[in-house]
Amino acid sequence: MNCEEATKLMDGYLDGELDPITSQTIEQHLRECHKCDQAYKTHGSLIRAIGNATPYYKAPAELRERIQSSLREEIAERPLRNVAQDARSLILRGQRGPRTVPSGAPWNWLALAAAIIFAAIIALNLIPRLQRPGNDQFLATQLIASHVRSLMANHLTDVASSDQHTVKPWLDAKLDFAPAVVDLSSEGFPLIGGRLDYLDNRPVAALIYQRRKHFINLFVWPAAPNTTRTPKTITRQGYQLLHWTDSDFNYWAVSDVSEKDLEAFKQQFEAQTSHH
Amino acid sequence: MALLLKQEHASEPGDFESGPKIVKFVVVKKREGEHAQQAELTSFEDVMLPHLDAAHNLARWLLRNEQDAQDVVQEAYLRAFKSFGGFHGSNGKAWLLTIVRNTSYMLLKKNRAVDLTTPFDEEIHTAGYESVSPATILEHSEDAELIREAMEELPAEFREILTLRHQEGLSYKEIADIAKIPPGTVMSRLARARTKLKECLAARIGKEK
Repeated sequence: MNCEEATKLMDGYLDGELDPITSQTIEQHLRECHKCDQAYKTHGSLIRAIGNATPYYKAPAELRERIQSSLREEIAERPLRNVAQDARSLILRGQRGPRTVPSGAPWNWLALAAAIIFAAIIALNLIPRLQRPGNDQFLATQLIASHVRSLMANHLTDVASSDQHTVKPWLDAKLDFAPAVVDLSSEGFPLIGGRLDYLDNRPVAALIYQRRKHFINLFVWPAAPNTTRTPKTITRQGYQLLHWTDSDFNYWAVSDVSEKDLEAFKQQFEAQTSHH
Repeated sequence: MALLLKQEHASEPGDFESGPKIVKFVVVKKREGEHAQQAELTSFEDVMLPHLDAAHNLARWLLRNEQDAQDVVQEAYLRAFKSFGGFHGSNGKAWLLTIVRNTSYMLLKKNRAVDLTTPFDEEIHTAGYESVSPATILEHSEDAELIREAMEELPAEFREILTLRHQEGLSYKEIADIAKIPPGTVMSRLARARTKLKECLAARIGKEK
């Protein structure tokens, strides 16, 4: 081995990455060539010193926390996203003529959201003073808040589909009850999608219907056994709340449509569900 | 809007058109899937979080910027988690560092194409080298700040290989896998990187004198 070859292999030798035979040949050369031996020793000590003194950037604690929380978000979003994609593809496939699906027009949404926030602030300030606290009143507050929230920040639906056979299985998979889902397009209340919500200390299903440019949130959760209550209407801050029950479920419809429209919605919904 | 046209969950178009009807579903709590995901996350964190310092250090050297490094590491962990199902090897560290490296280069290419394409200017960086002896460099070799400055002058491929070898102690084989170069190239690139680093150090010491 000559000096040129030895120099070429010096780093590999230094790192212990050469095969045994080549290593032996280099050792042999270093024993015989003072110049190369000197160069090797200088190179080696310098590289080691530099390596040891190179700043090592440990990860700050908050990065670990950021990563852990982003991973948790990732698994939390997984099922929703897949179902939502399925649902969207379904809408595209099955669409017959123009069908209004909430999308686009971010400017309008912003304006709407601002108006709703304003309404919510007023609602939060006035309700405790004006209303006698009671179970229904408190629930109504929650219902309106939930309805308002659903129209803010583009979180109207978790599963956007006008197909009841997409919305229903999605909700069934997320809840411990199976609410009835019907499409009322032909009655003027097209189904927009479904969403999970939390009301009255329990997860509930929210079905979203549309009436012209308005949205109706229909909250559904199981009724306590043997509760038969007469339908009830509450009007508050321009929102209509309509409550009814059937043998299995509590229903609360919340919207800014007129009382008449909401009543019609209830009748259509009940008519369609009672077929089964 | 990106759409995945998955067909398997879709009902038939005819069914869709057929108007309102209800199917009563038997309620089944689908919690098994969530448990499996939680288990996957736990196992991912057990294997990958111990290499967080290495991931951060590599990204920090490649990007030369703390904020970018943190963003890249977070993104890399997310990507790693998404493809964790495809990881069957035993070398979690090398696997993770590969993803960190790729993610770092994507950002480098996006933000600072210059960094990757500007050829290393030997004239500037080696000026004054001749007057500085190896012994003098060795005297300064514990000066972390000086080394940092010299390292940061090097091209990304040199910063990367020096970090992987000197700080992570990875084998040539592992480095070849991470940097996507033939194993035979690792030694020569490492030798060039070390030479350049010495030259940059010498130039800085020479300037100070």
